[in-house]
Amino acid sequence: MSLKGKRMGLRVWALAILVVVGVGLFVAADEGTIKLGAILPLGDITGAQASKAMQLAVAEINAAGGVLGRQLELFIVDDESKPDKGAAAVDLLATVDNVDVFIGGMSSGVHLGELPALKKYEKVTVWIGAASSLVEQAAVGLDWYFHIHPWDYLQGASYVQGWADLQTQYPLIKISKVFWAYEDGAFGTSSFQGSLVAFSNWLNSGEPFKSALLGGGDYRSVLRHAMDYDPDMFVWVGYAADALPMMEQAAEIGFTPPLFVGSPPGWPADFGTSPLAEGVISYGMWAPSIKDVSPVSQHFWDAYIAKFSEQPATYFAPLGYTNVYVVAEAIQRAGTLEKQALITALEATNYASPLGETLTFTPSKLIAHQGFRNQKILQWQDGQQQVIWPFAYATALPRYPFTGK
Amino acid sequence: MRLLRRLRRGQVLLLLVSLGVLVLMMLWKPYALIEGLQRGGLYALIALPMALILGVVGIINLAHGEFMMLGAYFAYWLGVYTGLDPLVAMIPALVAFALLGAATYLLTIRRALKAPELNQLLLTFGVAMVGAEFANLMWTSQPLKPHLSYVYSSMTLGKLRFGAYAFVYTVSAIVLLVLLSLFLRRTRLGRAALAVGQNPRGAKLVGIDINRTYLAIFSLSIALVGAIGAMFLTRNSVFPSAGSPYTMKSFCLIALAGIGNLPSVVWGGFGLGIAEALVLSFRGYGGWADVVFFAVLVAVILGRSYRRQTA
Repeated sequence: MSLKGKRMGLRVWALAILVVVGVGLFVAADEGTIKLGAILPLGDITGAQASKAMQLAVAEINAAGGVLGRQLELFIVDDESKPDKGAAAVDLLATVDNVDVFIGGMSSGVHLGELPALKKYEKVTVWIGAASSLVEQAAVGLDWYFHIHPWDYLQGASYVQGWADLQTQYPLIKISKVFWAYEDGAFGTSSFQGSLVAFSNWLNSGEPFKSALLGGGDYRSVLRHAMDYDPDMFVWVGYAADALPMMEQAAEIGFTPPLFVGSPPGWPADFGTSPLAEGVISYGMWAPSIKDVSPVSQHFWDAYIAKFSEQPATYFAPLGYTNVYVVAEAIQRAGTLEKQALITALEATNYASPLGETLTFTPSKLIAHQGFRNQKILQWQDGQQQVIWPFAYATALPRYPFTGK
Repeated sequence: MRLLRRLRRGQVLLLLVSLGVLVLMMLWKPYALIEGLQRGGLYALIALPMALILGVVGIINLAHGEFMMLGAYFAYWLGVYTGLDPLVAMIPALVAFALLGAATYLLTIRRALKAPELNQLLLTFGVAMVGAEFANLMWTSQPLKPHLSYVYSSMTLGKLRFGAYAFVYTVSAIVLLVLLSLFLRRTRLGRAALAVGQNPRGAKLVGIDINRTYLAIFSLSIALVGAIGAMFLTRNSVFPSAGSPYTMKSFCLIALAGIGNLPSVVWGGFGLGIAEALVLSFRGYGGWADVVFFAVLVAVILGRSYRRQTA
């Protein structure tokens, strides 16, 4: 062999050794992290803030030494609020990123598209959104599936309980006649139909309206019909884009029912700054005021603002934070990533969440692992959302009646 | 002459019937009339700049609503940083959106003027998507709306109580129609635009710079719709997809009125607004409002086609 040939041979060997060492180091580094795969709609504030809260939780856990001595690694994929993108995200996270646990999730429609893909991989999945009972029906028999958000019928039951408790505790509040204004899409219509069943002891009437989200935004005819009905409680079920215009148009025509309830999935950021927000009642899993009664919530609030220089504005932020902590604590308890051990550890969850309640998993109607069961009844008071029910987490007394000022 | 007399008679009859309907509505469904004029004013106001582009440049601008949405965001953030009321923010919006319109024309529209109509549609659709995605990336899908106490001011007439502020759309639509008509008939640029809109080749032959006219009209239209976005914000939330439904409504209104017929855009807007409000005033039939909108549109187009065939 010539000198040139020997040199070439040495170079090939050196390159081969480098490749082997490099791959070894890469594999070692890869084994060193615990991978969480989150799927969220990043273009929407719910997904954007949930993703930030997840990053915050991961950063806190890693700064405290990680889980089982290993660092958490968070992979976030945008589902763009589309079922096909969500399903593709599951495939990507399972096959390319090889995540250990699936977390995240918002919309029921998107999740119904993701579930068949999740069933292919059967990895442990802890989901924070997707409240439709259709999702529950699609998740029957999945022992690796954990669902944190209350199902729609659980929410309905909690409102029934909440209003009953409020009327008992505060006899001034009397509800027998209710008008429901609901957006004419699937969300509003199914909410209205569910409410008719849940509140069958009330005299209910309702009318659909076209949400601003779909090119509507003139609610005056529905509001006038509600005013003619003279209800004890007026409830509108729509989107955040309807919130302030709805209040303005109610003020414009002089409609001030004793209870004015809004039930959008999230409120616009500036809603509290309007004097028209005063006394408006809403439903939700969390309000910033919970930090006044919950140290965990206070810690979450402070840490989120310190890290992102913005306030968490949707309950999906504390839910995202809860999502990561619940999984991390379960892995710590299990001592391994082995699936069955992790499922058993998750079943033993007892996590004091920033939403106020302690999270545990118990069976719901159809699945074995349901987390929260109740929503909260909130009221806008002096620009802040206060919890008025459940009384255990109440941050303020209810203000009654609604004055529209 | 006979045809002219018949037409006039027809027009007088139409006017009398319209007045009769309005009086009947005032007695029977006064709120539907009042609120119909207000919502129709908004439709007409938003549609006018689109009609101007379509009439002169000959392009259906599918990004029309997105420019309005960006105008609303512009006014919102100007309000946040400077405390400027959205109605005052219409003035800087006019300037900013004239520049944006000019840039859009020079970078995109100009290059597609000779392209097939489908390509032009796809181009403006692309501009619309860029606008919506830009807003989504910048401000997320969270709706924004400033609190403005004057928007819920109300008036009382006998037993009737109704919002007074929303008439700003009705009045603005009429004022804009008058101003645009004056501009098109009394100014050099306006007359050039009319000539270009009717016969570009002929206009070129008499020395009109077509490209400069297109640029001016496109920029003016985008400036107007940007400023209208600021006015839209006073009563509506803004979010990335807030504008797109108005592109559709504006286009339908122009189709109803006939291309280049600005007064009919305004009267058609009022007519559709009143028709929608009338349907909405019947409890439980609100879902038919959109059907009425498109039914009127189809009926007018069919009627016009029938008239042309029989003439």
